[in-house]
Amino acid sequence: MNSSQPLLELRSVQVQFPRPGHSPQRVLEDVRLDVRNEEILCIIGPGGSGKSTLLRVMAGLQAPTHGEVRQRGEELVGLNPNIAMVFQNFALIPWMTVEENVRVVLRARGIGEPEVRRRAAGAIQKVGLEGFEEAFPRELARGSKQRVGLARALAVEPEILLMDEPFSQVDALTAEALRAEIHDIWKDVETNPSAIVMVSHSIREALVMADRVAIMSGNPGTIRTVMEVPLPRPRDAKSPAFLRLVDQLHDLITSAELPDVQVTTLSPDAAADEVEPLPHCQSGHVLGLLEFLDGQGGKSDLFNVASHTQVSFERVLPIVKSAEMLDFVDTPKRMVILTPLGQRFVNAGMDERKDIWKAQLLELKLFRVVRDMVEHADGELAKEDLVHELVTRLPKEDPEHTFETLVAWARFGELFAYREDQETLAFE
Amino acid sequence: MIIQFLDTVWGQASNLLTAPVKWRRWVDLLVLAALAGLVLGLLFAAKQWTGVQRPVVEISLSPWALPKYLFLSLIRAGVAFALSLTFTLVVAYWAAKDPLAERILVPILDILQSIPLLSFMPLVLLAMLTLFPRSNVGLELSAVLLIVTCQAWNMAFSFYQSLKTLPPELNAIAAVNGFSWWQKLRWIELPYATPGLVWNSMVSVANSWFFLVSAEAFASPTVNFQLPGMGSYMNVATNTGNTKGQVLAIFTMLAVVILLDQVIWKPLVAWSQRFQVDETAEVEAPDSWLLRLLRRSRLWRWLETRRAQRHARPRLRNLYVRRAEAQFQHPGRKGRWIAMGALLGILLALALGALSLVRLLANVHAAQWVHLLKSGAASTGRVLLSTILATLWTVPVGLWIGLHPLWAKRLRSVVQVAASFPWSMLFLAIILALRKVGVGLGVSCVLLMMVATQWYLLFNIIAGAQAVPQELSEAMKSYGLTVWQRCRALYFPAIFPFLITGWVTATGGAWNASIVTEWVEAKPEALSTFGLGAEVVHAAGQDMALLAAASLLMAAIVVAFNRLVWGPLYKLAETRYTLNR
Repeated sequence: MNSSQPLLELRSVQVQFPRPGHSPQRVLEDVRLDVRNEEILCIIGPGGSGKSTLLRVMAGLQAPTHGEVRQRGEELVGLNPNIAMVFQNFALIPWMTVEENVRVVLRARGIGEPEVRRRAAGAIQKVGLEGFEEAFPRELARGSKQRVGLARALAVEPEILLMDEPFSQVDALTAEALRAEIHDIWKDVETNPSAIVMVSHSIREALVMADRVAIMSGNPGTIRTVMEVPLPRPRDAKSPAFLRLVDQLHDLITSAELPDVQVTTLSPDAAADEVEPLPHCQSGHVLGLLEFLDGQGGKSDLFNVASHTQVSFERVLPIVKSAEMLDFVDTPKRMVILTPLGQRFVNAGMDERKDIWKAQLLELKLFRVVRDMVEHADGELAKEDLVHELVTRLPKEDPEHTFETLVAWARFGELFAYREDQETLAFE
Repeated sequence: MIIQFLDTVWGQASNLLTAPVKWRRWVDLLVLAALAGLVLGLLFAAKQWTGVQRPVVEISLSPWALPKYLFLSLIRAGVAFALSLTFTLVVAYWAAKDPLAERILVPILDILQSIPLLSFMPLVLLAMLTLFPRSNVGLELSAVLLIVTCQAWNMAFSFYQSLKTLPPELNAIAAVNGFSWWQKLRWIELPYATPGLVWNSMVSVANSWFFLVSAEAFASPTVNFQLPGMGSYMNVATNTGNTKGQVLAIFTMLAVVILLDQVIWKPLVAWSQRFQVDETAEVEAPDSWLLRLLRRSRLWRWLETRRAQRHARPRLRNLYVRRAEAQFQHPGRKGRWIAMGALLGILLALALGALSLVRLLANVHAAQWVHLLKSGAASTGRVLLSTILATLWTVPVGLWIGLHPLWAKRLRSVVQVAASFPWSMLFLAIILALRKVGVGLGVSCVLLMMVATQWYLLFNIIAGAQAVPQELSEAMKSYGLTVWQRCRALYFPAIFPFLITGWVTATGGAWNASIVTEWVEAKPEALSTFGLGAEVVHAAGQDMALLAAASLLMAAIVVAFNRLVWGPLYKLAETRYTLNR
C-alpha cells in the first residue's frame, strides 16, 4: 500500500437537503479534503457551517448529492466500514449497561462471542472505566458517558476515528483529561485508529490536538483553508510558537468570516433587489458587545472579546457581524472598534438607543422591504407571507431563523410588533 | 349605552354585509351562520327530548334525514361533554383540595377509568327507564349518561393531577400576591391544567363515538331500544341491506370525525399551547389553520379588544365581586360541613349499593357462576388474541412510519382519525359479510375487536418511534447494525412503554367491543357466540342478578389484568426502558 495515499478523500462534495415547497438547501458546496495516514485533523468553523454534515459524509451516513468520497482510492458506497464515530450527545442506549453498549456494536460485526468479550473488556480498560462495566449510562457523569462512547468506538478498531464535538457536553477539566487520553491512544502505532478527524468549537483545542486544522465557513459550507500545525508534541499552550499559531488561526478565521471589504454596503444599482442575510443574534448580545467595547476603551481584539466574555468565538462572530451591519463597530483585521455612532449609542439613554437602533435598521434593505410589505398588507403582514419572501430573497438562509432574528431586532427598535398567537407582523 | 351597543354590534354586522368581499369577512359570516344553525338545531332537539316516549323510533333511510340524525347524535355527545366537564371541574378540584375526599374519590376514579363501562349499559338503561317512564328524557339521558361514563374519568384524573403537580413557583405567585381561591383557580390553576385537559377531552370525545352509536341502538332478546341518531340509522340500513344508506352513514360519520378534529380539536390544542409551562416539551408547535384564520377574523379581534377594555376599565362591579370572593377565601365551617356531608353521602350510597349488590348476587347459582367464568375465559381469549394479532402488524408498520419523519407527520392525523372513528358502526355489516363466506361469529368477533382497537396501538407505536433520538438511531447505523439488530437493541425496547399504553387502551376497547359483537341482532335472526359479552346482553331485561354478576365479572377481569399484568410491565418499562433519563 502506498503510504502517501490518503485514507479518505472528499472530491468536490456537495450536499443539499430538500425543503418541502422550496428550493433545496445547500449545506456543503465543493468540499475537497483528504484524511491522511497518522494524522489528527480538526475541523473548525462557525455554527451552521456544515461541520457535522461533513463528518456524516465521511462516515457514509449521508450520501453526497454531487462529488464522491474515496476510501484508499476506491469510491465509497454506503456506510464506511473503516470508521467509528463518537457523538456529541454520547448516543448510548439507556437500557444497556456500559459493557452491553460496547458489545452490541461488536456483535453486529459478526465477531465471535469470546472475542467480543475480550475486545469490549480491553476497550473499557483503555478508557479507564474498569469497575463500571455493569453500570447503566444514567448512573454515569457526562465525562464517563463520553468515555463509554469512546470505548465503543475503539472496540471496533477503526482506521479513522470520527469525533463530533466530543467534549462540548463535558466540563472543562474532564475534557482536558480526555484529550490527553485520546492523544495517547492515537500515538500507539501498533493499534488503530491511524487517523482522527475531530469537529471542534475551540481554537485552543484544535491547536493542541491537530496536525492540520481545516477552517470552514457557512452558507453553504465550504473549506476555506487548511492550516498545518508543525509543533512537536506535547504542546505547550503558553509557548511563543503556539501563541503565534493561535494568532495565525485567528487571522484566518476573521478573514473568512469578517472580510475587510464591507459586506453590507452594496452598490445601489447592482444590488437593488438584494437584501442582507441577518446573522443569528439577539439584540441584547449586540448591546452587551458594545458595552464591553466601551469598557475596554472602545476597541478590542475579536478573540479577546471571546475569552473575556466566556463566549466561544463561533458565537461571538455573528454578534460582531450584527454590530458591524448596524454601523456600530468597524472590524479592521481582527480588531473590533466602536464607531462614533456606536459610542453615541452606548452613551445614550434607553429611548435614544431605541431611536438610533430603529434608524439603523431602516438603513438595511431587508427591513425597508419588510416595512413596505407591512404597509401593503394593510398594516398587518402574515408570517407565512414574509417567510415566503425571505425564501425567495435569501435562498441560502434558513427562513425561520432569519424571521426570528428579524422580529427580535425589530421589537427592540420598536419598528414592528409581532403577535405570536396571530402570527402577524404589524407596526408598533 | 344603547347607542354604544348598536355602534359596536350593529356597526360590525353592517360592516360585514357592505364591506368589500374579503376572505376574513367571509369567515365572520360563516361564524354567524354556524351560530344560527346551532340555535335552530337546539330547538329541534328540545322537541325530540321532551316528546312522548317511543322506545323504537322508525328510522327514515332517506339521505335527507341524515343531517337530522347526525345533529341529534351530536347533541347527545355535546350535552354529555358539558356534563363531563362540569363533573371534572367540581370533583377533581374537590379531590385535590380536600385530603379526606382525595382518599376516597381518587381510587374510585382510578377504577372507573379502567373498566369496560359498556357492560353497564343495560343496567343504566333499565334504571333510567324506571326513573322516566313517560317521556323520551329517560332514553336520551341513559345514552348521555353512558357517554359521560366513558368521558369523565380520565378528564377528571388529568385535572386532578395538574392541580396536584402545580409548580411551586406558581403556587408562590398566588401566595405572595394574596390571590383568593377563585383568582388562583382562574389565573393559575385552570390555565396550567388546560393543555392536559384539552388533550384528555380530545381522547374522551373520540372514545365516546363508539359508545354513542352503541347506545343509540341497543338490542337484547327482550329489551329493544332505538333512538333517532347515526348509530340506529346505520343499524337499520345494514339490517335492511340498504348499501347506499350504509355508505352515506359511514362517510357522514367520517366527515364528522375529521371536521371535529379540524374545527375543534386542532385549534383547541394549538390554543392551549400558550399555557404550556414547559417550554421544551413540544419541539414542533401544533398548528391549526382554523385558529389562525379565526384569530385574523375581525369578529374575533373585536371580541378580544372588548375583553381587554373590560379588564382595563375598573368597574364598580368588581368591588362587589371582590367582597364576594373574599368570603370564599376561607371556606370556613359551613363549607367544610357541606363537603363532609357530600362525602358521607357518597360513602353511604356506595355502601348501600354494595349491600344490594351482594343481596342480588346471592341469587346467582354456583352453576351460573361457573358458566360465567367459562364465558369470561372465552372472551378473555378473544380480547388477547385480537390484541396479539393487532400487535403483529402494527409494530413493524408503526416503527416504519415513526422513523420516517415526513410520513409520520402525514399519517399521524390519519391514524388519529381512524382511532376516533366508531368502528362499531361497521360491525354488523362485517359480520353479515363474513357469515356469507362461512365465518362464524366466534371468529369474526376477534376480527371486529381488532378492527376497532388496532389504531390505538398504531398511534402509540408511531409516537414511541418518533421519541427515539435521531443521534442514537444514526449511531447504531454507523456501527453497521442491520435493521433487525437495530430493532432488537434499540427500537423494540424504545417503544415498549408506548406499546403497553397501547395494549391497555386496546384491550379496554376490545372488552367494550365484546358487548356489541358477541350478541348481534342480524335480522331475521339473532346471532350469538359463547362469551361474557353475550351473557351481559342476554341477561339484560331478564335476570337482573345475572346481569349484575356478568358486568361485575367483566370489570373484575379487567381490573385484575391491569393490576397483575399491565401494572408490573409498566413499572419495568418505566424503570428500564425509558429514553428520557
